[in-house]
Amino acid sequence: MSPSDAVMRDPGTARPTIDRPADYLHEEHTLRSWFFSTDHKRIGLLYLASITFFFVLGAIAACLVRLALIVPDGTIFSSDTYNKLFTMHGVIMIWFFLIPSIPATFGNFLLPLMIGAKDVAFPHLNLASFYIFITGALFTLITLVIGGVDTGWTFYAPFSTTFSNTYVIPALIGVIIVGFSSILTGLNFVVTIHKMRCPGMTWFRMPIFVWTLYATSLIFLLATPVITIALILLVMERAFGIGVFDPRLGGDPVLFEHLFWFYSHPAVYIMVLPGMGVITELVAAFSQKKVFGYRFVAYASIALASVTFLVWGHHMFVNGESQLAATVYSLLSFAVAVPSAVKVYNWTATIHKGSIHLDTPMLYAMGYIGLFVLGGLTGLFLATLAIDAHLHDTYFVVAHFHYIMVGGTMLAFLGGLHYWWPKFTGRMYPEAFGRVGAGLIFIGFNVTFFPQFILGYLGMPRRYHVYPPEFQLLNIMSSAGATILAAGYFFPMVYLIWSLWYGKKAPANPWNAKGLEWTTSSPPPTHNFLNTPLVDFEPYGYENKAPEIG
Amino acid sequence: MAEAVLVGIERAEHFESIDQQREAASLGMWAWLLTELLLFSGLFLIALILRIQHPAAVTLATTHLKFWIGAANTAVLICSSFTMSGAIGLSRLGWQRGMVGCMLATATLGTLFLGLKGFEYYQDYAEHMMRFLGQPYALAADQATRLFIDVYFITTALHGLHLITGVSILLVLTVMAGRPNFLAQHQNRIEIYGLYWHFIDLIWIIVFPVLYVLNR
Amino acid sequence: MTPEERRQLWQHMRTPVISLGLLMALLAINVILGATLPFHGVWMLEAAVVLCMVLVVLFLSMDVSHEAPLIRVFSMLGFFWVLILFTMTLTDYLAR
Repeated sequence: MSPSDAVMRDPGTARPTIDRPADYLHEEHTLRSWFFSTDHKRIGLLYLASITFFFVLGAIAACLVRLALIVPDGTIFSSDTYNKLFTMHGVIMIWFFLIPSIPATFGNFLLPLMIGAKDVAFPHLNLASFYIFITGALFTLITLVIGGVDTGWTFYAPFSTTFSNTYVIPALIGVIIVGFSSILTGLNFVVTIHKMRCPGMTWFRMPIFVWTLYATSLIFLLATPVITIALILLVMERAFGIGVFDPRLGGDPVLFEHLFWFYSHPAVYIMVLPGMGVITELVAAFSQKKVFGYRFVAYASIALASVTFLVWGHHMFVNGESQLAATVYSLLSFAVAVPSAVKVYNWTATIHKGSIHLDTPMLYAMGYIGLFVLGGLTGLFLATLAIDAHLHDTYFVVAHFHYIMVGGTMLAFLGGLHYWWPKFTGRMYPEAFGRVGAGLIFIGFNVTFFPQFILGYLGMPRRYHVYPPEFQLLNIMSSAGATILAAGYFFPMVYLIWSLWYGKKAPANPWNAKGLEWTTSSPPPTHNFLNTPLVDFEPYGYENKAPEIG
Repeated sequence: MAEAVLVGIERAEHFESIDQQREAASLGMWAWLLTELLLFSGLFLIALILRIQHPAAVTLATTHLKFWIGAANTAVLICSSFTMSGAIGLSRLGWQRGMVGCMLATATLGTLFLGLKGFEYYQDYAEHMMRFLGQPYALAADQATRLFIDVYFITTALHGLHLITGVSILLVLTVMAGRPNFLAQHQNRIEIYGLYWHFIDLIWIIVFPVLYVLNR
Repeated sequence: MTPEERRQLWQHMRTPVISLGLLMALLAINVILGATLPFHGVWMLEAAVVLCMVLVVLFLSMDVSHEAPLIRVFSMLGFFWVLILFTMTLTDYLAR
């Protein structure tokens, strides 16, 4: 502990540190230094604030949907309003929360730190990415304010092009623009990982989180342009009557679906892969044990990013695609489950005989593993053609993807947020509250979404405003769960903000974790490391000793 | 031309070496070009599917496209790629004035393309190909032709948009490149930009046959 | 221009000149084929010509063959992915 730490321990003191550079949070306080910063850490926090805002909007939409579904006869909201609610929920949560969440916040903040670099390859492009994100976000907010859109987040033609009476075009423009933001972030990450690693940081010495960011970035680059052109075509058709999807002319709406899902299936892996990377980090740190089968986990990440591009037709089994295509897509969808399973086995093998610490991040990680397995297995149900014929467009699908997106990615996000909170802010969060929050979220989540598997199996369609009265009990249960879940989310929002002023000051490595980000101060200096790291050690270099007893 | 200037790259702060900076820039541009290819490929796919679903309509529509303007435009872009390569070569030699001349020639050829394209659109309008403007449609007997004609408009307009952007950036780059010390500090910008220009050419080299030739 | 400068210039411009020549020749072939339509399956030949033109641009104009392996992989990756898009979509449309 250097003398300046004594100075720093007193929160009332405004004196700068004496013998080391100011950290990135305290170096400059002006608005300009925040909103025009090319520092990847500050940009990561700008994203964090933005996606949290959108999460709240999307969550409000979800709460209203669950409110509407308490009664079976659709008397709480009109059908049009209901359609707008679930559409906005989907659009906001997918493009303005889940997709940017881990890559743009944790990825931006941690990637250079984890590979020992000073910044990403193109810092100005990084800032541009953020403002492009904001521009897209503005279009979506405008859409929301002027009346919303009711096509579902999938924007299927010809409803979106010809028949919808809502503000489809500004919604589409918002998504198109935000797509560019993600392309540029992916580009930045790919070049950073290839070119900016510090001396000694070979590919197989990188943390798994970096591998998953790399795989995710490849998907950003390869998938996003295709939905960009698909959505541009929708805008052209709706706005100018120039289009190819109009069945009255001989056009094929299923062609839109091919282009849409070519991106949107890999997009779910954009949402899943970084979460898997976070879980790997958490599981290793809180078992104090190296990742089991590191190379398998690394290769599995690349395998997921590749095979994910071969399965998109499983969203279209009942929409008119050929039997041959359906069969091929079904088989490949079974195949894509394998790398995910590899990762799950490797996590459990990592935890096995580790020195387990059940801190908040680990609670989230363990919740993730259970819920992700459930979500993933139900995906196999849906990949089976005969079963999908019954389950397609029911609540079974809704439950399936919420288990993965919320039970999976959201828990990974929260777990990572708690894990790296000391690094981002220099403060510890209150552990007791962390555990309560994690518990509430886990319970609330399951009460909300497990009934939906049953509802879907019993035949309740998704996106329906009204439903048979015999489904009401399960719907009420689901809505009650949503209340608990909302309370659970509220917890971290409050205590994390609280910790910024009143949390315990964090040391450089509060978790005794391995990884370059833990070798620098909490928060890090602006240029990340005082001296460029030299890596001559393997990742996750925990000593594999048996846990102490007593 | 005879007075060669110093050629090099000024290292940006977050890079450790000039090689790292140059390789990062090149990889970044190729990653970007990859996305551009996938963007246009969506349109190529649609052209293919339309061919499979409505072969007669697509052939009929193709015969109403301005084959010779398209061919001329292809030649123009190929020449512009040549002048851009010239700019790159001269930038490596440090022949700043010649390089600037080549860049201006490239921009001129790009503009010529846009001019020919505009004339072509005017002809399309005159021949009643633009149903979306509310005018009577020349091929109304076969409504499916509209699908392919619309793909033609969207693809060429999107490519034209890229060309307008490309020419604009090129002109800005030319102004910057004409200044003293530019080649000593930023030579690789010419090379990186050249990659983008070649790719605009490459996309058109695919667009022209897909729209104008293969379906005749 | 001195003879030395002329030599240097040719050294740098040799590949672009060859590119220009090849691309114009291939374009001429496709234009003639498209204008005259000599036989029924001529589109296959035209497509092959297009493929050659793309390869010329990639390997000569953009100098992919002299680039680092990483760049070569990225330059091919996009085309491979386009192949995936096309092939998988065709399993639907060709089998309906």
